[in-house]
This record gives sequence, C-alpha cells and structure tokens, in this order.
Amino acid sequence: MDAIVFHICGLISVIAAGIVVTRKNPVYSTVSLVTFFICIALEFLILRSPFLAVVQVLVYAGAIMVLFLFVIMLLNLTPLELKEDVSRRRKVVAGAISVALFALLATAIARSPTVRGAPDLAAPLAPGPLAVAGETEAIGVALFTTHALAFEYSSILILVAIVGAIYLTKKRRPLRAGLRPTGLEAQAPGTTESGAAPAPSPEARRAPALEVRASP
Amino acid sequence: MTISLAFCLYLSAALFCVGVYGVLSRQNLILVLMSLELMLNAVNLSLIGFGRAFLPSAPADPSGPQVFVIMVLAVAAAEASVGLSILLAVFRKWRTTHSGEIDLLKG
Repeated sequence: MDAIVFHICGLISVIAAGIVVTRKNPVYSTVSLVTFFICIALEFLILRSPFLAVVQVLVYAGAIMVLFLFVIMLLNLTPLELKEDVSRRRKVVAGAISVALFALLATAIARSPTVRGAPDLAAPLAPGPLAVAGETEAIGVALFTTHALAFEYSSILILVAIVGAIYLTKKRRPLRAGLRPTGLEAQAPGTTESGAAPAPSPEARRAPALEVRASP
Repeated sequence: MTISLAFCLYLSAALFCVGVYGVLSRQNLILVLMSLELMLNAVNLSLIGFGRAFLPSAPADPSGPQVFVIMVLAVAAAEASVGLSILLAVFRKWRTTHSGEIDLLKG
C-alpha cells in the first residue's frame, strides 16, 4: 500500500513539476507547485518522517506559496508583460543540459553498489529509538543538542533575511532639511525617487497602488 | 511491492533536472525562483530517502537527515523572501520581471 502511494505520488510530482516550468501564467505554475509540495509531503510521510511532512505543508504549501501568490498579485502583470521571447534554440539547449544531467545522475545511481545494497524503504522498522527518528521529539532533541550550533546559524540567517527583505522593499525617500518623513504622504504617480523618466500611461495608472501596497 | 532507494533517487534526480530546465529556459524571474524551490525539494527527497535507508548505520544521530532537511528549509525560506523582495525592487525600478532586460546592478 505504502509503495503504491509512493509511486503514484512520485508520478504526480514529476507531472506537476513539468507543469510548473512550462506554463505561461505564473498563477497556474503556483497552483501546480502546491500539488508538487503536497506530493513531496506524502512521500516524506511514507519515508517515516511525519514531522517533516507537516513542516513541508506548513512552510512550503502555506508560507512560501502565499509569498509567491502575493508577489504575483502585487505585480499584477499584464499578458504583454508575461510574454517571454525565449528562442527555440535556448529551450532545446536547456532541455539537452537537463537531460544530460539526468543521464549522468541516473548512471551514477544505477552503478552505485551502496544504492543496490540498500534495504527496502517500505519495510517496517523494529521498535526502538531508530523507529521514532523522524518524529517531533527525536528531531527536537537532536536540533537542540547535537545540532545546536547549526540551529543558531540558521536563526541568524533568517534574521538577516528578514532585515534584507524589509530593506529591499521599503520606499526610499530623500530626507529634506527640517522635514522628517512621516511615511503618510502619497507619492505622485509616475515619479520615482531616483528621478527616472515618468512611466508610460498604463504603468502610471498602476504605479500608485503598487507603491502604497508594497510597503509592509 | 517495495520502495527501492534507487527509485527514490531517480525520482529526486528527475525533479532536480526539471528544476534545472526551468531555471535555464524561463525568463520570468518568478518562475526561476519557483524552479529553484523545485530543485531544493528534490534534494530534500533524496536526503530523506538516504536517511531512511541507512538509519541503522547511524545510531548516534538517527535524526540527522531530518535536521539537515530543516536547515535546507530555513535556507529556502530565506532565499524565497530575499529573492522575491529583490524582484519587487527591480520591478519598481524597471517595470519588468524579465531576466534578460535586467542588465544593470546599480539600483
């Protein structure tokens, strides 16, 4: 039963990944990406990592997907802006590179004695500490004892990412003498702080909404 | 019916290569970031497969693969947030999300 579900999920995840990279509209890609993440979560569950399956759904299918959808809605790209002029040659070269990479990896997997001698992944585990290695308690203990340093590094990484994301998305206003920026005054449409040329009319129509909503 | 480690690794390699194709062939930066997520997930799958297969050979740290995947997840979350905010900053400046049209680093 486990094996059947695993194989079906694998098939669906490959199809979903293919849809992600081929659709023109990013919203379709996002929906397909959610399917992909849920299939991966089911595979984690079958490989005895229930905690990671839940985290996968929460973080990827929840948080990261909402972030992607939020940005897609915020940019509000027109079909003209979504149009890609990828040449056929570039697609063929990209396909050839990825097929060659897969052939390389598949050869390595097929020839590896380690992989050939591996036990069945669907076999039940004997009860004991090894059987619960993927559960919340064991992961928590490992994360805060053996891997505490890596955990601290990852917290610093996320802190830096938060600071960077806020810095990159906030509006940069020139500070005028004697006048502190309140952050409330609306910016005139079509003008940017760096003195760029006013945008053409369709963009100018969209500009104020983008500028206002973009600040977190 | 069994799940072989080889099948798990073939699946992971296939998903990774689909992600590589996406990164190389797409021009929309949102799609490039999504393809990066595909590749990170493929790597996670192979890590968990290896961890499940060779669990009894690492009794000192049985949760190692899971911790490794959590670290990859943290990096993926940081990468997605910073990547998307760079995308927003670029779009505000140049009104485009095409990778081919962004040829200046200076903002």
